[in-house]
Amino acid sequence: MGLYFTHDRVGNPYVVGKAMMLRTTLIACLLLFSQLPASAGDYREEFEKGFLTKTWSGEQPESNYCIECHSSDRMKPAFLEIAEQWKASWHAQNGIACHNCHGGDPKDPSMSMSPHRGFVGTPKYAEVPEFCGKCHIGILKNYLDSGHGKALRTSGSGPNCATCHGSHNIQKANIEIISEQRCSKCHPYERAKTMKQALFLTEKKIDELETGLRRLKREGVYVDDNARNLFNIQAEFRTLFHSVDVNLVNDSTSHFAGRLAVAEKRIQNTFSELRFRRNFAAFILMIFACMGATLYLIIKTPKD
Amino acid sequence: MVMGEKIRNWLDVRIGLNELIRTQLAEYRVPKNINVFNALGTIAFVGYLIQAISGMFLMIYYIPHSDHAFKSVQDIMTIAPYGWLFRQMHVIGSNLLIAAVILHMVTIFLMGNYKRPRELTWISGALMLLLTFTFGLSGYLLPWTQLSYWATTIVTSIPTAFPVVGEYISRLFRGGDYVSGITLTRFFALHVSILPPLFLILMAVHVALIRRIGLSATPFGKSDEEKRPLTEFRKKTHPDGYPYYPYLVQKQALMVIVYFMVMFAFITFAPTFFFPEATTVPADPFRTPETIRPEWYFLAPYQMLKLIPNKFLGISMLIVVAFLFVFWPFLDTQKEKNIFRRPVLRWVFISLMIGWVILMWWGKR
Amino acid sequence: MRRRGFLKALLTFFGTVSLASFAYPLVRFFAPPSSSAVNEKVVLAKQEIPIGGSKVIVFNDKPAIVINVPGKGLIALSKVCTHLGCLVEYDKDKNRLVCPCHAGTYDLQGNVISGPPPKSLPKIPLRVDGEQIIIG
Repeated sequence: MGLYFTHDRVGNPYVVGKAMMLRTTLIACLLLFSQLPASAGDYREEFEKGFLTKTWSGEQPESNYCIECHSSDRMKPAFLEIAEQWKASWHAQNGIACHNCHGGDPKDPSMSMSPHRGFVGTPKYAEVPEFCGKCHIGILKNYLDSGHGKALRTSGSGPNCATCHGSHNIQKANIEIISEQRCSKCHPYERAKTMKQALFLTEKKIDELETGLRRLKREGVYVDDNARNLFNIQAEFRTLFHSVDVNLVNDSTSHFAGRLAVAEKRIQNTFSELRFRRNFAAFILMIFACMGATLYLIIKTPKD
Repeated sequence: MVMGEKIRNWLDVRIGLNELIRTQLAEYRVPKNINVFNALGTIAFVGYLIQAISGMFLMIYYIPHSDHAFKSVQDIMTIAPYGWLFRQMHVIGSNLLIAAVILHMVTIFLMGNYKRPRELTWISGALMLLLTFTFGLSGYLLPWTQLSYWATTIVTSIPTAFPVVGEYISRLFRGGDYVSGITLTRFFALHVSILPPLFLILMAVHVALIRRIGLSATPFGKSDEEKRPLTEFRKKTHPDGYPYYPYLVQKQALMVIVYFMVMFAFITFAPTFFFPEATTVPADPFRTPETIRPEWYFLAPYQMLKLIPNKFLGISMLIVVAFLFVFWPFLDTQKEKNIFRRPVLRWVFISLMIGWVILMWWGKR
Repeated sequence: MRRRGFLKALLTFFGTVSLASFAYPLVRFFAPPSSSAVNEKVVLAKQEIPIGGSKVIVFNDKPAIVINVPGKGLIALSKVCTHLGCLVEYDKDKNRLVCPCHAGTYDLQGNVISGPPPKSLPKIPLRVDGEQIIIG
């Protein structure tokens, strides 16, 4: 509003009349706005929620009582770190929260740990495979048939999922989980080493392709179909590994290599398509530059 | 050659082609001191043309349904041959176009060409800018990505700042309580069938007014006779100027080529400039991305709204600013067109520009 | 004057090239997609799939499954889980399709019952012609 006065000569009666009007409006506005915050708290709150924070529609992990209690001072020190560990995990990155594994109700503090809502705190050592296998059913099947699984079932002392993958701070599985330090806790490393060698090339290829897909995504290419295909190959391959049967892995390696080669070809094609696009656009750019230069010369050339 | 001559003759006896060419191109004279900034309007016109044509192409494969929109746009980018070219031209073009239009208005403002008798030309232009923003806003949702979904969620929540009717306006835009497939079809209809005719009408008025009133002389240099009392219509002509063709046409063509060059420089060297990673993720109403912000041309008003604690005051200020902008020719009653002789206006302008840039930069963080 | 004429010819040339480099993409863009893999059909004999039985086929380069659902007849569904792309398996006893990766569960119409999949399995059109099942 102040803008208005800046360039009009003061003293012009017409302007003064308008200025009066403006002043009245201004005062009215001030009155209106100073009243509003008190009278219209509801919509304001709603609006700020929509504006300044993220929630507006859909579901948000509003209040999660699991995290709240496990981060509070009252918690036993041993349980205090769980929330932080989970937050750094692959599960957290993929939207898998406490109740997806442990059951219970994160929205209702009185019932959050009720067995009636399916809550299981720490599963017994021998029950861990079933606990994880609620979701990872393919891997559970192979594991149960494996030496690891049989040892757990018969003697109760074989490795369970958490032995190798840990709990809460579970990271995306990779081949480095097979290490001398970890495997030689129970048996000589030799057999594990042969397994690692059998896995190595395929795993490396999968890793390479994943990196390629990530790069494509940064280039603005929609890669979900390719990423799913790759995930499927990887998942099948890793299920196979959980049988801890080196011969099985060796026998199927060529099958997986074939499928990975197809996936790789597709990714390479996309990269060369991107290169083509860049060249094509550069060509058009060049043509326009030439056109511009020619036209400029024409303008500068005298008529006669 | 003979054939061409015949066609020309055929047209001439029917529509008076030769007279049309003579009066509209050769005898239509433009002021001698006209500069490249006078070509910005033409650039904007060509820019709109590019948008319209590339938009028609995109519509061939685009499916305006929340289940298929994202996939169909990705198919345009990957499966349809050269679909990427037309989509890139449409997306980059929309941003360049808005930049060109803003630049056009800034130069018109600086040269004082909005002043009488050209108030209506300014108003039609200002309304066109507002329509262009609406084009941008509605087009942004159509690919149905995370970015478009959440940016639209923010923008359509702005009207809720109005007491009483705010909720209703917001619901009207969204077609419900939140952005959904209904919003998508609404925005699609807005983008391809409601806005274009409105826009074309305004554009026709705008161009007709320019031709009818005549080009204004650049205010710098000699004093301008347009300060005469406005008592009767007198078309502004420049009898001592250069003919429109080829003098200005060549300059305009050159500027249009530069526009294309900037567009293809983007496609070549920065193809992902307007495609951040959130544009490769389909819209997910259940997951809000880490950072959500509207397009660059909405950043300043968005940041302003965020800063003002009373949202109703904020949105009222925006509306007041929009009104000041559209009706500016009626508010600025001084006859002096040369901004160098108007220190106050100059400083107001500079501080407005600086404020705009700061708000934009702030909003981007 | 000769210089001007030359420049004009040059401009015409560049103009034509730029027009062509927009016209060619346009022609390609409008051309209907090639119909090579799309119309591929898979033919099975009816007795290959008894009631309650199933058969895995490859349809358009992707794995699919044909199930003879008791009481409902034949249905063909994609085997690719809509969550992360693993291949679902037919659980005959529970009348379910289950994904081994993250326990996504579908009914025999392809609808999601539980687990992470965002949408149902795509159906593939199928018709019975005499003793033959034609898929696609």
